[in-house]
Amino acid sequence: MDSFSSPSSGSSSQFNSDVFKDQLKNQLAQAYAEEFLETLRAKCFDKCVTKPGSSLSGSESSCISRCMDRYVEATGIISRALFSGPPQ
Amino acid sequence: MDPSAINSPELLQFINQEKERAMINEMVAKLTTVCWDKCITSTPGSKFSSSEQSCLSNCARRYLDMSALIMKRFQNMQ
Repeated sequence: MDSFSSPSSGSSSQFNSDVFKDQLKNQLAQAYAEEFLETLRAKCFDKCVTKPGSSLSGSESSCISRCMDRYVEATGIISRALFSGPPQ
Repeated sequence: MDPSAINSPELLQFINQEKERAMINEMVAKLTTVCWDKCITSTPGSKFSSSEQSCLSNCARRYLDMSALIMKRFQNMQ
């Protein structure tokens, strides 16, 4: 399926199924990304910035970086446990 | 505009697939935040310990077990 073919009709008021599908997928992807980012902010602030100072320290920054990697990894672990892990 | 284009079975199926994907995404996202809180108790390291990994994995599966249990008991309450 070629999602990037241009609309077959020249009229912009014509409903185009491919354009609609692309737009829906894009908007969903954006919504998922925003929700994920918000979760990352909440979790990593909680774990890494325990006593906010006048700036982010080096250790706070590296903690945040590790936190993001771990959270992405955790998402993968959960996803596999739910959908493709061995039967428990 | 041709209204029948919106009701095509192909489009409806596409929308249903995206709905299902959204539900799955929501479930994974919610479980990840719950299990993260339960299992990752210290400052995040450069990798998970094996106990953190199994905790996360167990957490997701036990949540499903619990969900099935709740459904069963709830039906008995009716």
